[in-house]
Amino acid sequence: MTATSPDSPLVLPADLRTRLDRSVAQVNSVLLGKSMQVNLAFVSLIAGGHLLIEDLPGVGKTTLAHALAATLDLGFQRIQFTSDLLPSDIIGVGIFERDNNRFEFHAGPLFAQLVLADEINRATPKTQSALLEAMAEQQVTVDGRTHALPLPFIVVATQNPLDLAGTYPLPDSQLDRFMLRISLDYPSREAERELLTSTNRQELIATLQACMSADDIHTLRQLVGNVIASPALIDYLQALISATRSHADIRVGLSPRAGLALLAAARAQALVNGRGYVLPEDVQAVFVPVTAHRLTLAGGGQRDRIGVTRDLLASVAVR
Amino acid sequence: MRLTRRQFDLTALTTLCASGLHAPHFPLWLNLTITLLIATRWLQRRLRPDWGKPPALLRLPLTLALPVAVWLQYGNIFGLDPGSVFAVGMLVLKLTESETARDARAVSTFAMFVLMAALLFEQDLLTTLYVGLGSIPLLLTLRSLETEERTASVPAAPALGNLGASLAAVLANLFAAAPLALIVFLFLPRLAAPLWSAQTAAQGKTGLNDSMSPGNLGQLLLDDSPAFRVSFDTAVPPPAQRYWRGVVLWRYDGQRWSRAGGVPLDPVRQPLKPLAAEIGYEITQEPSQKRWLFGLDIPTSDPVGAQRDEDYTLAAPRPIGKLTVYRLRSALTYSLDGLDSRQRLRGLRLPAGLNPRALALGKEWARQHDDPVKIVQAALELIRRDFRYTLTPPPLGRNAMDDFLFETKAGYCEHFSSAFAVLMRAAGIPTRVVLGYQGGYWSDVGNYMVVRQSDAHAWNEVWLPDRGWVRVDPTAAVRPDRVELGAGTVNSSGSAWFGREWALAMRNRWDLVNRLWTQVVVQFDDLTQRGLLRSVGIEQADWRQLGITFALCMGLLAGLGLWWALRRDHGGDALDQAYERLCARLAKRLDITRAPAEGPADYLRRVLQHQPQARASVEPLLLQYMQLRYAQSTIEPATVRAFARAVRKADLHRSPAR
Repeated sequence: MTATSPDSPLVLPADLRTRLDRSVAQVNSVLLGKSMQVNLAFVSLIAGGHLLIEDLPGVGKTTLAHALAATLDLGFQRIQFTSDLLPSDIIGVGIFERDNNRFEFHAGPLFAQLVLADEINRATPKTQSALLEAMAEQQVTVDGRTHALPLPFIVVATQNPLDLAGTYPLPDSQLDRFMLRISLDYPSREAERELLTSTNRQELIATLQACMSADDIHTLRQLVGNVIASPALIDYLQALISATRSHADIRVGLSPRAGLALLAAARAQALVNGRGYVLPEDVQAVFVPVTAHRLTLAGGGQRDRIGVTRDLLASVAVR
Repeated sequence: MRLTRRQFDLTALTTLCASGLHAPHFPLWLNLTITLLIATRWLQRRLRPDWGKPPALLRLPLTLALPVAVWLQYGNIFGLDPGSVFAVGMLVLKLTESETARDARAVSTFAMFVLMAALLFEQDLLTTLYVGLGSIPLLLTLRSLETEERTASVPAAPALGNLGASLAAVLANLFAAAPLALIVFLFLPRLAAPLWSAQTAAQGKTGLNDSMSPGNLGQLLLDDSPAFRVSFDTAVPPPAQRYWRGVVLWRYDGQRWSRAGGVPLDPVRQPLKPLAAEIGYEITQEPSQKRWLFGLDIPTSDPVGAQRDEDYTLAAPRPIGKLTVYRLRSALTYSLDGLDSRQRLRGLRLPAGLNPRALALGKEWARQHDDPVKIVQAALELIRRDFRYTLTPPPLGRNAMDDFLFETKAGYCEHFSSAFAVLMRAAGIPTRVVLGYQGGYWSDVGNYMVVRQSDAHAWNEVWLPDRGWVRVDPTAAVRPDRVELGAGTVNSSGSAWFGREWALAMRNRWDLVNRLWTQVVVQFDDLTQRGLLRSVGIEQADWRQLGITFALCMGLLAGLGLWWALRRDHGGDALDQAYERLCARLAKRLDITRAPAEGPADYLRRVLQHQPQARASVEPLLLQYMQLRYAQSTIEPATVRAFARAVRKADLHRSPAR
């Protein structure tokens, strides 16, 4: 983000820094011209949040998820959500084992470190809830027994905002579970040209080397807590949050959980930028993806939430 | 909400200060009662706080006792003195039942009024200072109440700040209110006459009387307060010439000397010939509640609006109730002629059947000498030889002058001038008594002369056929230093305090300050105000103009205050200010203005993008700011100062045009 990285009290270990940079670069090489979204994906990863990608079909939602999975040395599962998908289909089910004469839990596809929940809004609310519960608690309960999910546990969900027939849009309260919501948008002219002329993305992903391990992510998540958020920055954060609560176009402002998510994301952003402290710019970089899907507008309407959040950002002074 | 101990103590202190200011004009028993009430209540609140406020059975009689006490003391419940007793009494009674913040607030508000009421009695610098000091515990009380409310609503707020911090805040408030007070003082339209009747000068305190009987000057001679002040256009007259002529007394009834009607001066019949250059001067006279004005012997002009009697007594049209300024010219050596038969008759009349020995002595002298000058000299010689000057003379009987001349032989100016006049009249020389002041302290610093009540003096004028009226001071015969050194030196035998050199110097310095205060503040009336405003270009300072100026100034002040408050609100700390200055300088020099919502890193990038050559000077500063502001939780003041210095010194030169 910043052109410079001044001395900071916290610097990533050099090898970790290299691996992180290489990972980001690798995902960027697959998803062309989307460095901002890639950056946010890593922010979500480091901050320990889940990612919601909302956009039209075919702009690379799945490609991003696949590229992430390939770059990170994590157990990966993809779940295609459909209207007849049941909670047990994703969580797993207890099956009677005749040999042992008891029920044995057979883990579903959710038991992976990186889960791609494709077209999440196609499933029924019941199934959606099962996923969201697992996301919030990092564990599932089947037949009265609690099963911990593997760590790190990262859900990348996608949804198509336009094709709404036969879908169950996620309610606002559940959208809140996703730390970031990003959209990919059409690629730029140059990016699209390269996309058209170069190798097939699927093949490219197949050739990718894993750059980061689960341990690396664990270390990053520990380090992110050390990133300094100074009183001045907290002031700024609070000013932003209270601005959402008093804004004329916003019916429901940011919750304290949203504030925590904003701070966590800003810390991760600072870490990605190689800084040991948070700058207002870090908050600004993650503000729209963190908050836009959590606000309820007074007039209704989905798309111009982003416009309102941008206005908000411009109206709160940085000191 | 019950008052805390600190709050109640402050309220009690406020009450004590407010009533203390009135103590000087209250009777002693009242002062004692007030102090006792305050002390009792304070002790009760401290030792037995669980008792709460006194029961109604006790409060009601106390309240009813107040008007009764006022009635008994003053015989009336209206007027300044009874009113002030009422006010102070109410205040103290309110304190006795004060338990809640609301009570304390009522006490504070009313105490302000009581403090102000003290200014109705005295307006000198000291009283004004006392009133100002008295408002400090009052403001402290109000402040302690504020803090209490804030802590009540926000539980996490810090505990009550210490008294020192509150005091500093209160003083800062007072200081901030000073310009407001100045504007109100300068521009608030003034009434030509005060709202309340001119009782302002102490009633008991008057200057010279217009009659004289032995003994009634005595108190005056110990009164140290100034009678009037003089500034001279020319050289200051020598001490021996400083006879400030006041009232001329003709009529003698054996006890009292009094005036004989005021016939206006007829310059043709009483021709005055100055024998030396006249001197001009300006007199600022303290309120005396009498009409008499004073001038150096002898005034050749009369002040505007005043009247000059045939005996050259100057009188204002009405008693002097406020500080009055007038200009005069005087001839120090003169010849004053014109004694008509009526005046001669009056100048020789003596009460029948009284003072036979004095009369005999006068007649004896008249037989011995045919030259009146010889008779005068004989009398002076007699006084010089046998008499003693004292401020505590023995009492005199019915034939007062006989007793004085032949028995007691001790007295002061009154006795001497009275006896001298009786002797002269007995000897057939028309004589009158002049009451006035003699002396005056010249202040080099203030360039003026102050004449005090203690300079009061009485002397005589005798009519000599070939010289007209001639001033004779019989007191000078017994105590020449009375004239040379001034009353202070001579009268000091009465009390040692007056004699001390340094005390005298202190008094005179203090007089200088007080005079300045009176001249600049107390005397500031509608005329002075108009004069002042004319000098800044407001020609017709009527109430409309004044009102507009006043409103403008108040608006300006309010705007300033608002600006300060707003700026302070989000102006933040020193680091923010330094950063703001840096951004302002960058905006000015490099023409790149930081958007309000733009962070420092973004701003830096934008600056470097547009003005790459500024990297060397700008980058370190902005990086340092980010470090200070965002990379640490606590900020060292020293580093902030260093940063501010760096911002000030930074050389942000615009690049040569690209």
